[in-house]
Amino acid sequence: MSLIFSAMARIFFALMLAVSLFLLFRGHNEPGGGFVGGLVAASAFTMLALAENVSVARRALHLHPVVLMGAGLLLAFFSGLPGVLSDRSFLAHWWFEVGSLHLGTATLFDIGVYCVVVGGVLCLIFRLYEDPAQ
Amino acid sequence: MGFQGFEFPGVIAVALLGALVARTAAMVFGRHTGWVMSLVPVMLLAALLRRVPAVADSGVVLTSIPWVPSLGVEFSFRLDGFSLLFALLITGIGTLVVIYAGAYFSQKPRDQIGRFLGLIFLFMAAMLGTVLADDLIVMFVFWELTSLTSFMLIGFNSGSAGARKAALQSLLVTGGGGLVLFAGILLIGINLGTFSVTEILARSDELAASSWSGPIVILIMIGAFTKSAQVPFHFWLPNAMEAPTPASAYLHSATMVKLGVFLLARFDQVFAELPAFGTTLVVVGSLTMLVAAFQALRAEGFKAVLAQSTVASLGILVMLIGLNGEIAAVATVGFIVAHAFYKAALFFCAGTAIHATGQTSLRKLGGLSRFLPVTAVAAVLASLSMAGLPPFVGFISKEYLFEAQLTSDWNVVPVVVAVMVNAVMVGVAGVVSIRPFYFGSKRVTEVHHGETPGLLAGPLILASAGILIGLFPDALARTLIGPAASQLYGEPIDVSFALWHGLTPMLALSVLVVTIGVLIAIFWDKIHGGLRHRKLLAEAFGDGGYRWVLGAILGFARRSTRVLQNGDQHRYTAVVVSAVIMGLAIGMLSGATGVSLVPTGGPLRWPLVIVLALSVFGALATITSRSLIASLVSVGVTGFAVAVVFMLNGAPDLALTQFAVETLLVVLLTAILLRLPARRRHSRTSSERQGDALLAFGFAGVMFVAIASMTAAPIDLRLSEYFGQTSYLEAHGRNVVNVILVDYRAIDTLGEIAVVVFATLAVWALLRGAAPARTKG
Repeated sequence: MSLIFSAMARIFFALMLAVSLFLLFRGHNEPGGGFVGGLVAASAFTMLALAENVSVARRALHLHPVVLMGAGLLLAFFSGLPGVLSDRSFLAHWWFEVGSLHLGTATLFDIGVYCVVVGGVLCLIFRLYEDPAQ
Repeated sequence: MGFQGFEFPGVIAVALLGALVARTAAMVFGRHTGWVMSLVPVMLLAALLRRVPAVADSGVVLTSIPWVPSLGVEFSFRLDGFSLLFALLITGIGTLVVIYAGAYFSQKPRDQIGRFLGLIFLFMAAMLGTVLADDLIVMFVFWELTSLTSFMLIGFNSGSAGARKAALQSLLVTGGGGLVLFAGILLIGINLGTFSVTEILARSDELAASSWSGPIVILIMIGAFTKSAQVPFHFWLPNAMEAPTPASAYLHSATMVKLGVFLLARFDQVFAELPAFGTTLVVVGSLTMLVAAFQALRAEGFKAVLAQSTVASLGILVMLIGLNGEIAAVATVGFIVAHAFYKAALFFCAGTAIHATGQTSLRKLGGLSRFLPVTAVAAVLASLSMAGLPPFVGFISKEYLFEAQLTSDWNVVPVVVAVMVNAVMVGVAGVVSIRPFYFGSKRVTEVHHGETPGLLAGPLILASAGILIGLFPDALARTLIGPAASQLYGEPIDVSFALWHGLTPMLALSVLVVTIGVLIAIFWDKIHGGLRHRKLLAEAFGDGGYRWVLGAILGFARRSTRVLQNGDQHRYTAVVVSAVIMGLAIGMLSGATGVSLVPTGGPLRWPLVIVLALSVFGALATITSRSLIASLVSVGVTGFAVAVVFMLNGAPDLALTQFAVETLLVVLLTAILLRLPARRRHSRTSSERQGDALLAFGFAGVMFVAIASMTAAPIDLRLSEYFGQTSYLEAHGRNVVNVILVDYRAIDTLGEIAVVVFATLAVWALLRGAAPARTKG
């Protein structure tokens, strides 16, 4: 890969991750959300894999993508349990108001979606980008 | 009710807990696991016994915890005389089975003991749930759990092909029957608006009068017949003898197979007014008795003979339920008790004999009383009860059986059938107890494994209980059999059991039965030898029909797989696209809004036209380009153009997602290209390409008409307005799209991401297979 792409990839990687988190957290009020955020994050890791190689991208992710995917699904599931306790209704979300900031179990749910998308896309991309001859 | 409300669910929970700790217990206690773990069912037995006086006095104890209130499903339980009797049998015989299994597996690895006992406890919990449940949905869940655990136990020796086949057969028959039963339950729920047995019993007239009563009766009867192995579903039970003997003793003689009888007895009051119900039960029960008696004469294996006699006994029970009157109710309950006692004991003895010699065929067993003296005595005692000789409890229950038949308004046919079948049972009793233990002492010269206390406890306790109850029947009759029979009959019955009824017609029939039975036992070799080699009979009475049906289904599956899953991506795409075209066309033509061909999207805006032209350009480039890379990029162009269309129409969320998806799609497809040849070859003939074009145009046309029709129809904005108004107030978010995804429709989203996860895992595994010798996943 070219030197320029390789050098810029690091910067863009950080930027895209930041954007993806931004999209994730503002999703409740403005366009965005866990799904889009996850796609952007997956693109960031994909770019890193293209610019360097897959093992660099794997290291940057720290977790195995399949683990991330499963963790996301579990997180989304568990975010619904508090509602069972209070309202006897699965996925009825809890909310905490800290000043103007609204935080709730819905945010956890969205983070779960984010993790599923990132893990799902990346476990395929990494597999495909790894040289089959290796 | 307080704490009391949790008592019956608690009983089930304790059994489940037993299943959880069984493996650990086996690792700690080894050979003594059976004795230690038997404390669990003993505790349950004690808890249930405490309830006997209350049930005998007041009849019914109900408890309930809400489960799915929106569907009217409650975790409700009903303890009455009948369900108490079953629960006591389940825990009582369960205790002995656990002790016996510990001894039976004592020379096996510890994890095998643990796995087996875990399944036995799981089964116990499922059985208790089935008989105690008041809600039919709850009952059904536990009912299917018994089928599943039975599957696991029959296939316990998973290395044996026979065991796997028998396990699958029992699962297909009983699980399939369970689904039929479920349909019946749902019909009851739709008609009466309740799933509660208590309420259904109270409103039985209403159900019997409804126009759906016919289908409901048929569905429920099929469910019961599959579980209790009635003709034509009788074949799975003898094959289930592949299970380890403790499981056979528990599931396939004393408890699970009686669930069908339990169900029919529960609904006996409800359907009593339908004349076909009783008649069908008497006919099916009698046919089952005849077929099973006949098969018992042909069977070779120790357990197989016992299994066939179990099928015959189940036939007797079904027939008894079909008869009217209080004597029939008492006879049913009495026979359930007597049969559970002697049949479990005989299975235990058979297991000990097979375990000691490694021989399953009755013809190769003999003279075992030298090696297994106590087992031999227990076997003789149990089979005397089975033969219906005084002073055993089997004698009393048989007298009641004949009395129920003679007092019913049926003609002489059921009596003749019962005499013949009972005579065969006497013959079987003689053959399974005397022959292997006392005759032919030359056949077995040494045994691998002698008697141990664990192997003796079960048969001895059950066999001696058979005499004790026979000698002093009144105590049991008043406390258990009376309340159970009253529940079955619907009105209180004063039951007084006595061993000696005087010189009655029933006694004459008993004498006749025993005489014929002894003759059968004496001439067993000749009868058995004459019947054994009839192939035609084996096909007619065995599982030939089942194998034919299964073969036909598998053949159909293979043929349709060859057509649909031929590995050609073009074919898959064509099938999917054609299905979508047809679905949309049918939907539009049959829809209420009608079909419109004129688009009504307002004035045409220039920016939109340019974007759309771009997307058409992308599409054209995709199909004409010879390079795969260029095609991919062109597909991306079309996708981005669509995203821009979303943005121009005020859907920023959709546009954002579309952009991200398109980017990743191109990246993903490029990655796949790494593994494909770079040049693109025309693998399609020109006529095939014409077909593809036709499909593409068809799809486009249908989509156009669909969108035109949708925009022409007035839009119902109520939902959008509701979401718009409540989004921030109730769900704390201004982005309605996102709020719908994570809050209003969160459970849909959860389902979707679960599908994404599982689909991705499958693809991931496929890619792993395509690239072997990879170091890292």
